[in-house]
Amino acid sequence: MAGEKLEMARARAGLYGLMSRVFSDKPTAALLKGMKEPKMQESMASFEVPFDEEFLAGDDEQQAEELAVEYARLFLATGSHIAPYESVFVRGWAEDKPQLWGEATVEVSKFYEQAGLELREGQTPDHLGIELEAVAVMAECEAARRESGDAAGAAGLEELQRRFCQEHLKRWVPEFCEAVSRQAESGFYRGMADLTASLVRLHCGEEPIID
Amino acid sequence: MLNTITRRDFLKMGAASTAVLAIETQFGPIASAAERLVEGGRSVNRTSGLPRSFLPSTCMQCQAGCGNISYIEESRVVKIGGNPMHLSNQGSLCARGQAGINALYDPDRLLTPLKRAKGVRGNNDWISISWEEAYNEIAVAFSAARANPGDFVFLTDDLAQDYLGRRFTNAFGSPNAIGSTGVYDANKLVGTQLTWGRAGDMPDFANSKYILVFGANPLESNPQFVGIAKRFVDAMQQNQAKVVAFDIRLTNTSTRANEIYYVNPGTYALLALSMANVIMQEGLHNAAFIKEWTNVSPAELAQHLAQYTPERAEAETGVSALVIRRIATEFAATSPATTVTDAMLSNYANGVQNERAVMLLNIITGNIDSKGGLCMPVQYYLAEPDPVPSSPAPSVLSNPPDLPFAYQQAVEKTMEMIKDRKHGVNVLMTHGVNPVYSNPDMGMTEDVLKDQTLIPYHIAVTPFMNETAVLADIILPETTYLEDWDIEVRPSPELVPYVSLKQSVVPAMESAKSFYEIATQLAAMIGGGMEQYFAFGSVENYLKARIANIPGVKQAGGLDYLKQHGVWYDPKTRPNYASYMAGGFSTPSGKVEIYSQQLAEKGFAGMPSYEPIANFRELGANEMVLSIFDTAIQTDARTGNCMWLDEIQHDNPVWINPETAARLGIKDGEVVKLTRSHKSGDAKERSIQSTAYLTEGIHPEVVAMANGNGRAESGSVAEGEPLNSDEIKEIEPHALQDANMKLVWWKEKGAGIGVNAKQIVPVSPDPIGGGQAWGDVVVTVAKA
Repeated sequence: MAGEKLEMARARAGLYGLMSRVFSDKPTAALLKGMKEPKMQESMASFEVPFDEEFLAGDDEQQAEELAVEYARLFLATGSHIAPYESVFVRGWAEDKPQLWGEATVEVSKFYEQAGLELREGQTPDHLGIELEAVAVMAECEAARRESGDAAGAAGLEELQRRFCQEHLKRWVPEFCEAVSRQAESGFYRGMADLTASLVRLHCGEEPIID
Repeated sequence: MLNTITRRDFLKMGAASTAVLAIETQFGPIASAAERLVEGGRSVNRTSGLPRSFLPSTCMQCQAGCGNISYIEESRVVKIGGNPMHLSNQGSLCARGQAGINALYDPDRLLTPLKRAKGVRGNNDWISISWEEAYNEIAVAFSAARANPGDFVFLTDDLAQDYLGRRFTNAFGSPNAIGSTGVYDANKLVGTQLTWGRAGDMPDFANSKYILVFGANPLESNPQFVGIAKRFVDAMQQNQAKVVAFDIRLTNTSTRANEIYYVNPGTYALLALSMANVIMQEGLHNAAFIKEWTNVSPAELAQHLAQYTPERAEAETGVSALVIRRIATEFAATSPATTVTDAMLSNYANGVQNERAVMLLNIITGNIDSKGGLCMPVQYYLAEPDPVPSSPAPSVLSNPPDLPFAYQQAVEKTMEMIKDRKHGVNVLMTHGVNPVYSNPDMGMTEDVLKDQTLIPYHIAVTPFMNETAVLADIILPETTYLEDWDIEVRPSPELVPYVSLKQSVVPAMESAKSFYEIATQLAAMIGGGMEQYFAFGSVENYLKARIANIPGVKQAGGLDYLKQHGVWYDPKTRPNYASYMAGGFSTPSGKVEIYSQQLAEKGFAGMPSYEPIANFRELGANEMVLSIFDTAIQTDARTGNCMWLDEIQHDNPVWINPETAARLGIKDGEVVKLTRSHKSGDAKERSIQSTAYLTEGIHPEVVAMANGNGRAESGSVAEGEPLNSDEIKEIEPHALQDANMKLVWWKEKGAGIGVNAKQIVPVSPDPIGGGQAWGDVVVTVAKA
């Protein structure tokens, strides 16, 4: 059982880490190349979001350039801009409009503090990339504790991840991903959005992971 | 969507993901796990080290620079209010100031440098780049521009406030730092400068007993808005001052006046001069003041004014001769008395003359720099830290040859001159300014900015996307004013100078950087001697250097004092009325120049004169004069992304008199089309549409629209859309859209987001002041 949980924690760390990377910055040719590797593609297929043949055959550098434009259009500039922050999607009871640094941001910030996570200066706590990475880091820590035999510590981190899921990710990530999926012009961001939505639904208990 | 997944699939995916992450080494973990819990009970602001409860700063949502206080809880600003200690606004803060939170936390803020993707300007295709990449690219562009430094053009909003921008431009070797008073109140500044040797004025309302309002609206819009509005109210309530308003529209100010009279558009000077004529004729003038402190004799002046009879004025202005005589007499007989004007008086081709004509009323009654009268503006002037870059020789852009008094401000002319290739541009930097929206002839401005042969490289420094930034080649995300540092000074409504601090009340968000940082870094990278002018070492050093010439601040505690209180002034200072006694006026003659030799030399009327606006003669049956007015809610292009403000002023219907509307067959709420008349020059756009708002509150020959609406490329709130509708292929509701739709209720109502009325106005400066004659446009009005 411990071994299984360890594997799951490592897998979670990897997956959330990757999703975090996808939503934190434009893709590089190296990233695309890595994702095109057969093992990754196999896995993406099982999640129903493989790259199509055209994309697989395409030039990584050129695709990175094109996707950079889409990344900016979706997440950075005006236009189809979908601000990737929890507080934009989840409004506090005292709030009358979506904004950055809303009540949700404060809640997320407090969660990090309690969990012993520290943000680099200047980061907004409830940015999607940050939230996904927070899970990845917690999963890594969980894995480390399992490896060293600290079952109690591992359980604590497992619980933290569960809480983060329920109290934060679940509240907005699927909705955000749906918006991205609709607005994305590229299969890449559509696929990544679908993948992240599936991941969060899975992790947050809507769909079970079956043996 | 997936319904189930096997554990094995999940594990495989996880492993594969980890492998991918390992390949890409440039992206590392951003959060490191720490074992410690943060201690509770601390509340310290990381920027200033002060208890994290409230921080004073300076508001920048309009020109006024009021003292504000940000209330901070859990790392964020939750409320902004006025600073009771501040001499200007004395604890009050208007809607714009309060809505600063909307700007700071705008979800559409730009938080990373953006570079235009391949394709044409305006496509709105961007890629994010690092600051390092951005700086490198910009430095290369500037290095290439070194061959012709004078072709570097820097556009900003207020040249006096943007000291670093001026310094940067001069340090590079260009004279072309150009502010935007040309599209605001340049004519008033030039009119006052020519008359008493100082740009601008400050009516001492708090002590006034009689106030003549000429087209001004201090209770809604003024360069010192809140401070001046409060004192205007004080005058009415505490002094029982009589207020008489002359305007073409009912405003918050004129509706509180004791008497209000419509004036035919463009005839303010005639009205004022006829009143001056009455005062001279009745012997009610202050002969001693005229003799001692002006450069004409009472007899000369009376002779000049004789042509402006009340009867003539009645015929042309629409104000009866009886009223003209009575008000003139009352004004002269009541002491102290003052007039008040603003950009709305002087945004005409005869704008400077309008201003000088109204000033004359104060001059001949001795209400100059007097308690309760029209006073000269008082402020501190900040030190320029050594070494100071020399001012390069003027260019046609900085000193347009056909606008002899318009130095570094006729930004509307700037665009035209670039279009006509009167001056080359190699690099353009726009900082906190949006000429596409703010200038006349939006279409022409856009064309110029899109043309890479005219403007090879455009850097936009701004916190938000807007109509101008969208046409840039590179956008640098600037901090908002709530995350920025500077020393701010403004003319003081208290007539006691003060120093105000703008300080960062929360850390800069994500990658946004202050202009201080940007200018310093670029200067260092461009080098070639430029770096020495930006070698302050720290922003604190820079701030200290700026206040080094004000000894009182240092004694009080310097920068630390300012951080704590937001403002410093000398509590022992009293208004220095009649300051001119100590050395005269800063004019060539040392006196108030009723007659301006400078004007005469350039071929303009030397005496304040009425010069009718040709356009306004013989208006056709459905021809009206278009008036674009500022409100207390939106500051031109600065505030469109503030949701609370958009909720109040989200569109700009056309004010039209019911008589006029009936004649034209227009009903309230109907869509009308305003088409610029051929007699009003040329601009790319000829017509605009909006809904009619029938009201007695507008002169029958005038139609009026508010400024600040009809935004584009400015984010979802400004545009009244959750997402840019051009980009949406099919609008299927999803929660974010729904939520926003419900909040942006005015879109549902069908009112739309208004229209930028300025776009049909042609470039046409007052030949004296260089200020855009916004008020000169004649339009035909018809049902759309």
